[in-house]
Amino acid sequence: MNLYQPHLVCIDQIIEETADTRTLRLSFQNPSIAAEFDFKAGQFGEYSVFGAGECTFCIASPPTRKGYLEASFKVVGKVTRAMRRLNVGDTMGFRGPYGNCFPVEEMKGKNVVFIAGGIGLAPVRCLIWNALDLRDQFNDVTIIYGARSVADLVYKRELDDWGRRSDVRLHQCVDPGGETPDWKGDVCFVPTLVEKVAPSPKDSFAVVCGPPIVITLTLPLLERIGFAPERIYTTLENRMKCGIGKCGRCNVGPVYVCKDGPVFTSAQLKSLPPEY
Amino acid sequence: MQELRDLARKLFQERKIDALLGYECDRRGVRPAFVKAADECDRLIFDQRCVHNLAAYLSPRRSHVVALGRLAVVIKSCDARAVAGLIRENQLKREDVVLIGVRCGGVVLNPDEPGELESRNTAPRCVGCEQREPALADHIVGEPKTAPAGNQDRDARLSEIESMNLDERLGLWVDLLSRCTRCHACRQVCPMCFCERCVADKTLPAWIESSPHSRGNFAWHLTRALHLAGRCVDCGECERACPAEIPLGLLNRKAARIVSARYGYTVTDDPSKPAPIGTYRLDDGQEFME
Amino acid sequence: MSKRRFLSKPDLGPFVLDLIGSGARVIAPVRRLERGRDFIEYRQVRDPNDIVLGGPLPVRPLKEIVFPPTETLFRWRQAKSLIEIEESPTSFEETVIVGATPCDAAALEIVDHVMGWDYKDELWFGRRQATAVLAVACTQCDESCFCTAVGLSPQSTRGADWFLTPSKEGFEIEVLTPKGELLLERHDTRCPEASGSPAARASQVADKVQANLKMQPGKIRSWLERHFEDPLWKDIALRCHGCGACAFSCPACHCFDIMDEPEGMEGGSRRRNWDACQPALFTLHGSGHNPRKDQTARFRQRIMHKFNIYPARFGEVLCSGCGRCIRVCAAGMDLIGILSEIGHRAEEAESAL
Repeated sequence: MNLYQPHLVCIDQIIEETADTRTLRLSFQNPSIAAEFDFKAGQFGEYSVFGAGECTFCIASPPTRKGYLEASFKVVGKVTRAMRRLNVGDTMGFRGPYGNCFPVEEMKGKNVVFIAGGIGLAPVRCLIWNALDLRDQFNDVTIIYGARSVADLVYKRELDDWGRRSDVRLHQCVDPGGETPDWKGDVCFVPTLVEKVAPSPKDSFAVVCGPPIVITLTLPLLERIGFAPERIYTTLENRMKCGIGKCGRCNVGPVYVCKDGPVFTSAQLKSLPPEY
Repeated sequence: MQELRDLARKLFQERKIDALLGYECDRRGVRPAFVKAADECDRLIFDQRCVHNLAAYLSPRRSHVVALGRLAVVIKSCDARAVAGLIRENQLKREDVVLIGVRCGGVVLNPDEPGELESRNTAPRCVGCEQREPALADHIVGEPKTAPAGNQDRDARLSEIESMNLDERLGLWVDLLSRCTRCHACRQVCPMCFCERCVADKTLPAWIESSPHSRGNFAWHLTRALHLAGRCVDCGECERACPAEIPLGLLNRKAARIVSARYGYTVTDDPSKPAPIGTYRLDDGQEFME
Repeated sequence: MSKRRFLSKPDLGPFVLDLIGSGARVIAPVRRLERGRDFIEYRQVRDPNDIVLGGPLPVRPLKEIVFPPTETLFRWRQAKSLIEIEESPTSFEETVIVGATPCDAAALEIVDHVMGWDYKDELWFGRRQATAVLAVACTQCDESCFCTAVGLSPQSTRGADWFLTPSKEGFEIEVLTPKGELLLERHDTRCPEASGSPAARASQVADKVQANLKMQPGKIRSWLERHFEDPLWKDIALRCHGCGACAFSCPACHCFDIMDEPEGMEGGSRRRNWDACQPALFTLHGSGHNPRKDQTARFRQRIMHKFNIYPARFGEVLCSGCGRCIRVCAAGMDLIGILSEIGHRAEEAESAL
């Protein structure tokens, strides 16, 4: 056994989130690995499709739910294309958990604002459920989420659940042109919705994930509203292979996304060279 | 050399170019030089150590070179064949580059070679070269040169291999290619390997195994030789660049022999001359379809 | 724990035959003739007469003995939806390197840092464990050597289990590690105790190397940290072909790719292969975005990784000064020239303060 050898996992469930995004629910084939497996919100894994290769995704399910782990992916290249061809009952591989995590302990007792665009909701969703599963340990929970169109919203069922909860404030939007006749949310871009909601920075953390444009516009916006850069969290992704700091590929300046990340604060990002 | 420097200065002063690609001396010998202003032109030299084929830098995928603007390039007659190839294959417009042809009597293989050009150190590809200056040029500089010395039979090794039976040949190539680590230096220095995304880098599907084992190495080198058939200008840069000392030129020269026999074509520095790849003739042989 | 032993010239051959006879794979520098050039490379030897000690630096780095250009991480077999994994071994045949150069031996230790960083790479360390390194002091150098500039020397014992200093009659051996001790025990009679005072370590080679480059790694590091966007990178990188021959020839470069190689429908292997930060594909995202879009960014990464990032993390530069990158580069990129230039600029920046 060497550290590049994955554990075998079985696909228990496949959820079609959108036309090009799926969530897989996986469980370890080896019962003792399954029993021992633990991770922290924000960490990622290397998911194998034997014959196609490995792909890096955050673990999208929360650590508070045992017995399975989930990954959400969009078809972009060779491995994700192969993942789309898999069915319930097929075998994949998993290596992990790797990387750092969100500062869940620090966030307890505080307000948390979750902001995401498109499939960026996946890494955030892990933390959302982590917080909701321990709801009384957190203060206000605000979720601001948008996608290009109604069809492109991921975790639609869960968005409905969160919207119905009285202890969660959910704000949704779709891009102009992406709304349907019965759409009840806003029609604008995610940063615009953030500005509109204007979450209070007092005793608050912000977690932001999404396509580069969402990050580039939202992070400075939050700072203008009054969030401290050390309290704004995001995740970086980069081309990865080993996931454990040895293959030399994922560094942004002196920082390795797989070891020092993938979770970074806005303050840390500012000190990084423009190499991501 | 003074002629070259004066010409270079003039081109800058008349704003005909933004940068000039030539050769300069460095700590150890000679290397390619990018000169960006008239007052830098004294760096330029040309002597028997100028073996590098500068046409490699003209590929449009080198965005950081393209960003320099309008270039002038110093070329020998062998390099001119590569420039012609790039023009023929629509990678470069003739009017977009200023070509400074140099008269050349042969170069040494090693740009750090301290000695004079002699029969023993002349680059093998220079032996028998009959073109002292490129026909494809805007300017010609340099003193008249004589043909390179040396009487090695360039293709002695190739003939030796051709006389081997298939098992012996396979054994030879398995051994030679076993040293390849797939660094792809051969591809990167080649002016005719200008593909934005090389077939060996594609993953959907992975046409060529990227691993440096026997199977992968054969797939890579044979595919490259085939892709260069009729296009390789025999500049020898791939062999010079190979850190594992593999005689890659053998494959390319063999392919060139076949192309010459079959299509009556050899690489030329005339960009208007049609090449077998990319040209269809009604009398093209069809026996492979029978 | 070092002991001084002696191996006479006539005994070198029999010693190697003993090693082979005991079941070890012996790797040593041998001469090859190709393309009209003769060069040295590390190869498995069965005939001790093939060994060339004290010759020029072997063209390929020693790292390939413990870090093969392609390596199977594991194999899998597939039947419908079921997968079975075949593990790869993590213990390896005993190997003895007879005649490693000091720069190559030291590089192995330098790379140990990253291979053991939090996660222990069993393949690297498995091969390291199985390999005994007998290094030989250099008796020659050329204008591309710069080991002294990175804190090593032609007589550096770093990474060696035995260090051999050549003398007229043979080699004086310093046994340096427990692995070296074990090896000595098995070959005690071939290597009797050395008599007299230790052989004088020739300093002319070290002097020549020092003349090639003097450098203060700390000053280089701070300049690099503050000059990510310096126009120097654009100028240097214009010449670079982005081939990675430098990285593939470097004893310290260790970047690798991981990919699957199916064999038919029934299974295949996952391999790791040597890779380099120089081609564009290295950092290309599936979306098409590339954080290092051109050769300027990629060449800068090479220098940053070796002389800024690695020392920041692990306390020393990712370079042993062997000079192969300089010798092998088809475009005339000269690391000694580059480090020298950065050193000047670092001095200027300091005196301007």
